[in-house]
Amino acid sequence: MRLSDVAFTELSLQAVYAFRQGNILPPGRSKNLVARSRRLVLQSKVVISVVLALLTLGAVAIIHQKALNPEILAAVPVGLFQSAVLTGLFSLDIALLWWTGVQVVPTLISSGVLPVLEPLPIDPRTFRRVAGILYLRLFDLPALTIIVLTPLAVGIALGPLAGVAALPGALATVTFALALALLTGRFFLRRVQGSRGGGGRAIVRWAYLVLWLIPAFAMFAFITAAPAFFRALAVLASQGPSLSSALLVAAFPFPFATLPAVAAGGTSSVAILSAPVDLVLAVATAFYLGLAVWSAVWLAGSVRTLLYLPVQSPVGASAVSRPLRPVGRARAVLVKDLRIASRTPGYAFLILLPILDAGALGLLTYATPAQNPAAASLALGAVTTAALLATFFGPAFFAIEVVAYSYGRSLPLSNRSVVLGKVALIALMYLVAAALIVGFSLLRFFEPFTFVAFVLAELPAVLGAAFFELGFLFRWARRRGLAITNLYAGAWFAVAVSIPGLILAGLPPLLFDLTRSWGTALGLEVMALVALAVLALGAPVAFGRGAS
Amino acid sequence: MVTASPGPGSIPLSLEGLSVAYGERTAVQQLSLTVQPGEVYGLLGSNGAGKTSTIKAIVGLVRPVAGAIRVFGLDALRDGLEVKARIGYVPETSMLYEALTPREFLEFVASVRRMEATVATRRMQSYAEAFRLGAELDEPIATLSNGTRQKVLIIAALLHAPPLLVLDEPLNSLDPRSVRIMKDVLLRYVASGGRGVLFSTHTMEVAEQLCQRVGILDRGVLRGEGTLAGLRDRVAAGDASLEEIFLRLTEEDVGVRAAVDSLGDPSV
Repeated sequence: MRLSDVAFTELSLQAVYAFRQGNILPPGRSKNLVARSRRLVLQSKVVISVVLALLTLGAVAIIHQKALNPEILAAVPVGLFQSAVLTGLFSLDIALLWWTGVQVVPTLISSGVLPVLEPLPIDPRTFRRVAGILYLRLFDLPALTIIVLTPLAVGIALGPLAGVAALPGALATVTFALALALLTGRFFLRRVQGSRGGGGRAIVRWAYLVLWLIPAFAMFAFITAAPAFFRALAVLASQGPSLSSALLVAAFPFPFATLPAVAAGGTSSVAILSAPVDLVLAVATAFYLGLAVWSAVWLAGSVRTLLYLPVQSPVGASAVSRPLRPVGRARAVLVKDLRIASRTPGYAFLILLPILDAGALGLLTYATPAQNPAAASLALGAVTTAALLATFFGPAFFAIEVVAYSYGRSLPLSNRSVVLGKVALIALMYLVAAALIVGFSLLRFFEPFTFVAFVLAELPAVLGAAFFELGFLFRWARRRGLAITNLYAGAWFAVAVSIPGLILAGLPPLLFDLTRSWGTALGLEVMALVALAVLALGAPVAFGRGAS
Repeated sequence: MVTASPGPGSIPLSLEGLSVAYGERTAVQQLSLTVQPGEVYGLLGSNGAGKTSTIKAIVGLVRPVAGAIRVFGLDALRDGLEVKARIGYVPETSMLYEALTPREFLEFVASVRRMEATVATRRMQSYAEAFRLGAELDEPIATLSNGTRQKVLIIAALLHAPPLLVLDEPLNSLDPRSVRIMKDVLLRYVASGGRGVLFSTHTMEVAEQLCQRVGILDRGVLRGEGTLAGLRDRVAAGDASLEEIFLRLTEEDVGVRAAVDSLGDPSV
C-alpha cells in the first residue's frame, strides 16, 4: 500500500472518530471502522462535488438558454453576458472550494498524521510528496469536478474551442482556492485557535470568524447582486472603452471568464474589449496565470510546513491571581460552547450563519420601499428563517459533547443541564438574529408591536423544537452508549431529528400566515398558542422520565 | 458544595465481579477489589491489562457488561451523577477541551461541581503556583505541552477536594519536581482521613513508594492483591522487588528471559 494511502486512511479515521483528541474507541472491528470512515469522507466529497457540478450546469444552462430577464439581455452583448455568468461561476467555485478548505484543513493538522510518520526513515522528497498528495486528496473530487466539468460543459454550450479556453480559468480557480485554504489554515492556527483567553480577544476571534463565513455567503450575494451587476454591464457596454471596463477586465476571475466568450464569438462579442482594454485583458490574463503557477509552486513547498506548524500564541503575563467565576451548570455549558466556537470555525459557522443571514435579510428589508406590501412580509419571513436556521443547527451542538470530549462525561453533569445549556444557545442565536431584523424593520415600518410580538410568539416554538431535537439525541446516545456516538458517524439520525424540529418551529409562523387575513392580532394569538403547545410537546422529551 | 461529602458508606471504592467488554473483546473479567479509607491502592498491569478499562467503568465512561461499582456505598451505575460528584479523575490521555484555556476549563469544571468562587480560586491558585503554571493558564490547551496538560488535569481532579481520586497513570509526562509534588500531595491527601485513591501505573517504583496495597491485573484478570510484604510471601520471595513479584504473578518472568535470549546481541 502506498504511504500517502496509509496517511489518508489515518486522516479519515481521525476526521470521523477523533481518537487523538480523546474520543473513545467505538466497539466493532477496526477494519470496519476504517472502511466506514473512508466511506463517510468520500460521501462528504461527493456531496460537495455534486453542488459544484450543479453550479456549473446551472451557469451553462443560463448561458445556453439565456434564462434571465429579457430586458437585461437585450442591453448586454452576448459575449459580455457569457463572461459575466462565467465570472459568477468561477467566483462561486473558488468560494465553495476555499470554504471546504477552511473546514477541513484544521482537521488535517489536528489529526497529526504526518508527525506520526516523521521518525521513519523516509527521505525529505518523498515526505514532501506525501504531504502534497494528502492535501490534494482533501480536495480531489471537488477539484476534479471543476477542472473537468467546466471546460466540458462550456464546450458543449459554446463550442469546443470555448471549452478549451475555459480550462485555464478552472485550473486557476482550483489553485487559488487551495492556496487560500492553506493560508487561512495557517492564519487560523495562529490567530484563532492559538488566541489567548480574555474578553477583548474573544471579540477579535469572532470578528475573524465572521470574515471566514463570507465565502459561504457568496451564492446569496451573487443571486442578490446579479440584476444590478448586469445593469452595470449594460451601461459599460454602451460607453465603449473606459477606466471602469479596464478595471473590470483586470479583476479576477473576469479575464479567465472572458476567454471562452472571445473563443466563441471574438472580441467584438464582448463589446468592451476594444483597445486599450484588450491589452489590459491580455496583461491581466498573463498575470493571473503567472500567479496561479507561483501559487502551485508555493503550495507544493508549504503544505509540509503547515502540517508541522505549532499552534502559536504570544506569551502573556502570568495572571494566576485572576479569580475563577463559577456559574450555574447550564450556563457553564453555554459559556463553554461559546468559547469553543470562538476558536472552532465549524461551530462558529453554526452560530453565525443564522445571525449573518438575519443581517443580510434585514438589510434587504431596509432596502425595500416601506409602501411595498411585500416588505413587512419579508421582515416576518426573515424572523421565521432565523428561527428555522437556529433550530436546524441545534443537533450539531450535540457533537461538542460526544466528539473528542469524553472528559466532560466523567463530570457530574446531567443530560438535562447539557440540553438546557444548548437550548439557551439556540434561543440566544434566534433572539440576536431576530433583534437584528426587528431593528431594521423598526427603522422602516415603525410597527414595533407586530414585530416584537411575532418574535416573542415564536420563541416558545424555537425552545420546544430545540428541546425535542436535543432530548431525542441524548436519549438515543444513552441507549447506544454515548461513547459510540458522534455526529459524523451517526449523521443520518441528527439530520432525521432536524426534520420534525423544523416542522415544530415552522408551524406557528405558518398558522400566523394562514390566519392573519382575519386580523394581525388574531394571527399572533394563534401563533403564540401553537408555539406554547410545541413547547409543551418538546420539553418532556428533554426533561421527562428517562431523560437525565 | 465546597467539598464533596462521602456517601452513605465509608468504603471509598468497591468493585464486585466487574466485567468490561468492547464488542467481542473482553477487557476486564470478574474483577473484585476494595479501596479502603486512607489508602492509596495501586492497580498494576502491563499495557492492555485492563487498568484503563476498569477506571473508565468507575468514572462512567464505559458501561460494564457485568458486576457492581460502589463509591462510598453509592451504586455507580444507578447514581452516576452523585458518584461522579465524589470522584476526581485524571485520564490516561490528556482528554481536554482543546479550544479552551486552562482557566476557562477549570472555570467550567468548578461550575459543574457547583463550587464557590473563593474556594475554587484559592485552590486553583495554590495548585497553579505549586506546579508553576503562570501564563499557560490563559493559553489554549491545544498549544500546551503534554506535561502542562497533565498538570491541568491534576488540578481539575483536585479542585473540589473529592473523597475518592481515580488516577490513570497520573505521573506520565510530568517533570521530576511535579512528580515529587504529586506524590506528596497524594500521601497527605489520604492521611487527612476517610479518603481513598485508586492509582493505576505500570511503574513499579512509583507503586512501591506510594501504595499501601496493590492489585496486579493481567489480561483483564486480577492475579494477585495485597501489601508488598503479603505479595512477597505469596510468591515465596523474601526480598523480591515489586517488579519481580509482578513478573512472577503474571507468569512473565520466564517469558521475559526467553524474549531477551531470543533477541541475542543487539549489535548484530
